[in-house]
Amino acid sequence: MNAVVDFPVKPEARPYLEAFGRDRHRDDPDWLARYRNRGLARFAELGFPSRRSEAWRYLDLRALEQRPMLPAGRRADVVTAGARQQLAEIGFAGPAYRLVLVNGCFAPELSQIEPLPAGMWLASMAATIAERPDLVRSGLEAQSWDTPRPFDSLNLAFFADGFVLDAAPGVVLERPVEIVHLAGDAGASVHTRSLVTVGAGSRASIVESFAGSGDYWRNDVVELRLADHAELARVMLVEEGADALHLDEVAASLGAGARLSSFVLLLGGRTVRHEAAVRSEGERSHCDLNGAFLLSGRQEANILTTVDHAAPGGETRETFKGVATGRAHGAFQGRITVRPGAQKVDAHQLSRNLVLSPRAAIDTKPELEIYADDVKCSHGAAVGDLDEAALFYLRARGIPADEARRVLIEAFAQETLELIEQAPLREHLRARLAQRLATLEE
Amino acid sequence: MLEINNLHARPTEGREILRGIDLAVGAGEVHAIMGPNGSGKSTLAAVLAGREGYEVTEGAVTYLGRDLLTMEADERAREGLFLAFQYPVEIPGVNNMYFLRTAINAQRRHRGEPELDAGQFLRIVRAKLKLLNIGEDLLQRAVNVGFSGGEKKRNEIFQMAMLEPRLAILDETDSGLDIDALKLVARGVDQQRASDRAIVMITHYQRLLEYVEPDRVHVLQGGRIVQSGDKTLALEVERRGYGIVEDAA
Repeated sequence: MNAVVDFPVKPEARPYLEAFGRDRHRDDPDWLARYRNRGLARFAELGFPSRRSEAWRYLDLRALEQRPMLPAGRRADVVTAGARQQLAEIGFAGPAYRLVLVNGCFAPELSQIEPLPAGMWLASMAATIAERPDLVRSGLEAQSWDTPRPFDSLNLAFFADGFVLDAAPGVVLERPVEIVHLAGDAGASVHTRSLVTVGAGSRASIVESFAGSGDYWRNDVVELRLADHAELARVMLVEEGADALHLDEVAASLGAGARLSSFVLLLGGRTVRHEAAVRSEGERSHCDLNGAFLLSGRQEANILTTVDHAAPGGETRETFKGVATGRAHGAFQGRITVRPGAQKVDAHQLSRNLVLSPRAAIDTKPELEIYADDVKCSHGAAVGDLDEAALFYLRARGIPADEARRVLIEAFAQETLELIEQAPLREHLRARLAQRLATLEE
Repeated sequence: MLEINNLHARPTEGREILRGIDLAVGAGEVHAIMGPNGSGKSTLAAVLAGREGYEVTEGAVTYLGRDLLTMEADERAREGLFLAFQYPVEIPGVNNMYFLRTAINAQRRHRGEPELDAGQFLRIVRAKLKLLNIGEDLLQRAVNVGFSGGEKKRNEIFQMAMLEPRLAILDETDSGLDIDALKLVARGVDQQRASDRAIVMITHYQRLLEYVEPDRVHVLQGGRIVQSGDKTLALEVERRGYGIVEDAA
C-alpha cells in the first residue's frame, strides 16, 4: 500500500511513510498528531543524510538506506530474561531514581521511580503526554525547524516513549536519576524522545545507559532546558550490542548562570554517533562537554559537538579522547561559535586520540567561529600512538608488554573520567571502562 | 652473577659506542663504572636493561647463567634485573601505587607466587617507605608526574627496594641532585646492599661513592673499560681527571 501524501518524498523514506500509515499512534492528542505529521513530512523531504554533508561525512549509513529498519510496534512490552540480565550488568549500583525503557517503551516492573521529592517530576514520556501535556508541548513549540535534522524529524514521527524529568525552581535532587535503555528487537528501529527541564536554581544529575543485543537501530533524541542558575550533570554510557546502530542527539539550552556538565562514554555498538548541540542563551553560563570512545574490531564512532555562545561571559570546557584499534574508525568534530556581542566568552576544546593499530583511524576536526573581539578561545587536537618511553619504563619494571600497553591505554582513557564531579557516577563509569579495556583486542 | 664478554654495541642507526666491554660482577658486590661524557656509560645501561633501539654487534652477556641478550626487557626485570633510570619517565594517569603493585604482581606471577592484594601490598609499602624516609603522598600521585629531580630519583630507589632485585644497575642516579638529596638517595642504596645482590653504579662523579663504598671501580672510556681497581681509583680519577687513564691505557 502507498500512503497518499502531498509533499516530496525521498525514495529511502517511502517505507517509513508506509509504516506510519499502518501504525498510527491513535491515542495521541491532536497537537501531538500534528507534530508527528510535520516530523514525517520533514523526514520524507530530507531522507537520510549523505556523506557530502559535513555533519555526516565520517559515518557510513548506506546499510540504512538499503534496508529499511522500521519502528517496532508499540507493545505492552514483554520484559525478557535478556533485558533483566542487561540491566543487572549495566545498572548503577548506588541509590538512584531508576526508569527503564525496553525497546523504547517504559518498563514499570524494572523501574523504581518513587518516592520523588516535592517539585520533581519523573515519568515516562507517554505518561507525561497524558498527565502534563503542556510540559511536552511547550518544548515542541520552541523547536526550530531551520536546520535539517532528519533523524530528529523521523524520531518525532515515530517515538513511542522516553522520559521526562522536570525540576521545579529551587529543587535539589540529591540522588541521581538513572535511565536505562535496553533493546533487543532485531532489524527494527527504536525511537525514544526525552525532555529534561531544570528550573531556576535547581540541581539534578542523570546517568543514562544504553545496552542491547541484535542488529537494532536506536534513534534517541533528548532536549535539556536549564533555566537561570540551574545545574545539570548528565553522564551517558553507550554499550549497545555488537551489531547495533546508535544515533543520539542532545540539544541543550542554558539560561543565565546555568551549569551543564555532560560526559559521554562510547564503548559498544557497531556504529555509534553522538551529537550534542548546546546553546548558551543567558549570560555567564558554564558548559562542560567531555567524553571518550574506545573502539575495536570494525566499530565506528562519531562524536559531534556544537556550542553556540549567544550571550556574553559564557564558559565552555571540552575534552574528548578517542582510542581505536583493530580496523575501527573514530571521529570527533567540535565547533564552538561565539556570536557578535557575546563578549568575554572563555571557551577551550581539546581532542586527544590514540590509534593503536595500522588499520585503525581517528579523524579530529575542531573548529572555532568567533564573531566577537573580546574572547578567550582555544582548541587543540592530537592523534598518536602510545608513548614508547613510558612503555619501556613499565617493561623495565617487569610488566609484560601487552599488560604495559593496557595500563597506558587505561590511564589515557580514565584520565577523562576525573572530569566527572559526582564520585559515584565516576566510579560506575570507571568500572564499565575497565571491563571494556579487558576485552579491547590488541 | 653478571658476566660481560667483549661486548660491542651501537644504536640501531649510529656508530659503535661499546667496543669490547669485559666485566664480571659477583653476588654481594658493589661496582662503580665511571667515565666522562660520551664514554658509553648510558649505552651500557640501556643494552643491559634491554632498551629497544640498540644493536649488539659482538660479544655475550650472561646473567645468572642465562644469555641475557635473548631475553625481553620485561623478562629481564622479572628475573631480578633492575635499572634505575637516569631520566625517570613521567606517566600521566598511572597512579604510582597501582604501577608498583602491577610490577610486583607481574614478578610474583613469574615466580609462581600468589599475587598481593591491596592490603598486603600496602603493608610492605609502608615498611619500605619508612626505611627510605619517603612520604606516602608520593605514591598517590601519577608516576613521576610533577616530581622534583630528587623525588624522581628517590622514587627509583624506592622501586628498587620494593622489587628486591638480584642485580641493580643505577644509571647516574646521583646526577641533578643537591647534596642533601644525594645523601638521602645514597643512604637508600647503601641500605640495600645484600649478600645475594649485586649493584652496579654508573656515575660521572666520585661523590656518590663517598656514601656507597664500592668494592670495585672501573673506568670506561671510548667504549671500553680501560682501568679497574679498588675504591682508591675513584679518588684518583677525582683528583686527576679522566686524563690519567690515557696514560694507563
